[in-house]
Amino acid sequence: MTIAMGGWLERFLGRGAASVTVPPLDGALKPNSLLEEAQPGFTVAAPDNLALLGGAPVWSSGAQLLKLAGDKPSPFATLQSDVTALACSDAGLIAVACEKHGIAVLDHDGKPAITALRDGGKYACATALAFANNDTLLVCIGSTDNPLSAWQRDLLEQHRAGQLLRIDLKSGEVRQLANKLAFPNGVLADKDGSIIVSESWATRLIRLGPDGRMRAQLIEDLPGYPARLARAARGGYWLTVFAPRSPLIEFVLREPKYRRAMMAEVAPENWIAPALQSGLSFHEPMQGGALKQMGILKPWAPTRSYGLVVEVNENFVPVRSLHSRAGGRRHGITSAVESGGRLWLTSKGGDEVVTINL
Amino acid sequence: MRPIVEMKNVTKEFHGVAALRDVSFDLAPGEVHALLGENGAGKSTLTKIMAGVYEVTAGQLVIDGEPQSFKTPAEALQKGIAMVFQETSLVPSLTVAQNLYLGNEKFLNRLRGIYISAQQFLQSLNFGVDPTMFVSQLGAAQKQMVEIARAVHHKAKVIIFDEPTATLTPEEKHHFFALIRRLKKDGVSIIFISHALEEALAISDRITVLRDGQHVITDLAKNFDRDKIINAMVGRALSGELYGKAAQKRIPRPYGQKILSVQNLSMGRMVRNTSFSVYSGQITGIFGLIGSGRTETAKIISGVVKRDFFHGGEVKLEGRSVRYRVPRKAVKDGIVYVTEDRKIEGFFETKSIAENIYLNLLSADLNKNGVIVSYSEMIALAKEWTGKLNVRAINSDARVVELSGGNQQKVVIARALVQKPKLIIFDEPTRGVDVGAIAELHQVINSLADAGLAVVVISSYLPEIMNLADRVLVSRQGRVVEEFAMEEATEEKIMYAAVH
Repeated sequence: MTIAMGGWLERFLGRGAASVTVPPLDGALKPNSLLEEAQPGFTVAAPDNLALLGGAPVWSSGAQLLKLAGDKPSPFATLQSDVTALACSDAGLIAVACEKHGIAVLDHDGKPAITALRDGGKYACATALAFANNDTLLVCIGSTDNPLSAWQRDLLEQHRAGQLLRIDLKSGEVRQLANKLAFPNGVLADKDGSIIVSESWATRLIRLGPDGRMRAQLIEDLPGYPARLARAARGGYWLTVFAPRSPLIEFVLREPKYRRAMMAEVAPENWIAPALQSGLSFHEPMQGGALKQMGILKPWAPTRSYGLVVEVNENFVPVRSLHSRAGGRRHGITSAVESGGRLWLTSKGGDEVVTINL
Repeated sequence: MRPIVEMKNVTKEFHGVAALRDVSFDLAPGEVHALLGENGAGKSTLTKIMAGVYEVTAGQLVIDGEPQSFKTPAEALQKGIAMVFQETSLVPSLTVAQNLYLGNEKFLNRLRGIYISAQQFLQSLNFGVDPTMFVSQLGAAQKQMVEIARAVHHKAKVIIFDEPTATLTPEEKHHFFALIRRLKKDGVSIIFISHALEEALAISDRITVLRDGQHVITDLAKNFDRDKIINAMVGRALSGELYGKAAQKRIPRPYGQKILSVQNLSMGRMVRNTSFSVYSGQITGIFGLIGSGRTETAKIISGVVKRDFFHGGEVKLEGRSVRYRVPRKAVKDGIVYVTEDRKIEGFFETKSIAENIYLNLLSADLNKNGVIVSYSEMIALAKEWTGKLNVRAINSDARVVELSGGNQQKVVIARALVQKPKLIIFDEPTRGVDVGAIAELHQVINSLADAGLAVVVISSYLPEIMNLADRVLVSRQGRVVEEFAMEEATEEKIMYAAVH
């Protein structure tokens, strides 16, 4: 009764869980245009899943895996369905999760190395992969309820159906380390054996023990939805944030009836929900409002999509960030890797692989 | 030209202690004369003798060539000498207009007539104060404006301004200086006491510096620079320690953990949907003009005032949503607010230093013996903190009211620090504090950030923000509108953001 009253009171007063607030982008997250103003990169349709294979970046685009041949991207493997996650081991193995065909392990030329792990249904929403060592693969399942392509629905229905799995590549044994995660979307095996996971819908990073037990909350209340992680040369990590939080979306997330009606009646691309790109159609929910003048959307206008990558130090304190703001092109940053003094980023919303000299 | 006011070898003693010793001073007609010195140098005593508040112990006061000994301020006013006091002497229960005409009332007064003429008079001074408002409803800056207006209204030949600009915004200061120039043109002589040395250099014709109740130097303003004034005031060069050179060499501290996240905070018209974060191990400077909602935001965070009942926004301390009804809860959570108005809110002026410090320990429930008050603990605590912060007093039994402004501020800071805060908010930490103490207070604030505390410094004095802050937030119309990293911050950029 008290809990019910408390919830009702919070909604009535606009406090606690019912306060529609979003943390500000300030301090190390202060908006800039570094990402937007970086040199032109490689135009690739919906690039995603950057990883380092022998120190060189590889990434996916649809069902293809690409790497650089000279100074141009070139496909070196084609999978049976869209690649949702990718990881490379020190030994040169490439683990690939496909939306409809499960996980495959390839050698460095893109030829199948291990074929016993394919299970399309189970891994339909594999969001991130990471090698704990050459024989162990960590797998983030964003949601057991929805495929990856329905990630907006997963957020709006407020599912908490994510899993973290550990796969022994030798024996094929699959062990569930954690479940009921809020869309785990990035995973990294740390040096001490612990596992760092980004939970998108909880807007936080957590550290789990090797057995999957919660150890610590590393960052919380991020101003956007975190995605994949990569090591930074300075000892910290790069954290990609694929979409921003906004008061409008936070408000909609607190209105179940409205969400149900919206999802039933409106086309998914026009939902009031975060997006990897926006501003393409006048059917989209209003974002610019009066902030669009002379055909230019002001960078501080409310937006459904944004480009953001954050460098955090070894204590997970943000130290710098690169932005592509409202009205920019390089939105929906889903993955990043640092190699040879350059930061590689996939702008899934902007159809571009961007490189930035650090 | 015969001086309009002349003081010859004046000595003033209080209970056998000399506040002024053999000081000579003169003021020419139509001159702006700046009187500078550290707190306790004797500036206010000297001017209060001219204004009839005190009588001299030895020496002579000469007005227009005639020796005078005023018994009351009214006598001084009759001779054309008016003083604008540091602590306002207005009647809070009367309106602005009534205060302006107080003492000059006609036999029959028509309130409407008073309001109309007061409105015209205030407009002629470019002071945006409503004459029908009660003084108790005015902010500090507006009270100061009414004080100034009252002195001008009395058509005094000599007006003494004691720290007139301390509470004024830059725009109001601009109007105030224009007013001083106009008064000077009309032949009014002005004595100008200020801790803002740039103002003294800019506005005055001559400068006199006092130190420890003695005359140090009087010279034309053009013969002074900042370093020379400071040297005369404190007997050593301090400028590099204060503003300018030290700030240029400073390396900003890196970001620590996010301690405080303020999200869409609202309180009436004063705080409007403001959002910002504060990090540990860093000094976050908040600059804004008076009325920009800086102080109110700080007071909401620390539980002194409450935010809007409905949809008032969120304050998250280390990720936990907090909403304090009283400051005590905030103190327990490690948030301490050091007030801008120390005389009203900062300490119990008739209590001793030791009692003041110990009271805050008790209020935070951090004393050793629970409900039992320990005299020895109180004395030990006072000794520890007066030593750490270099509070200069005869002993810890001295009443706070007897201390200089800088030492009073150190007591206020000591009171805050005994509560072991994680986040400490300084609101105008060096207002009304002399340059010697400013350097010491800045050292204290820097050492707190170096020790890993999250420090917020609210200031309307730009050089102070530039010197102290690792990042600068600019507040305007109730919200934080801009953030500058130290590398990109300039006074022009900050001021532009604060005004436009």
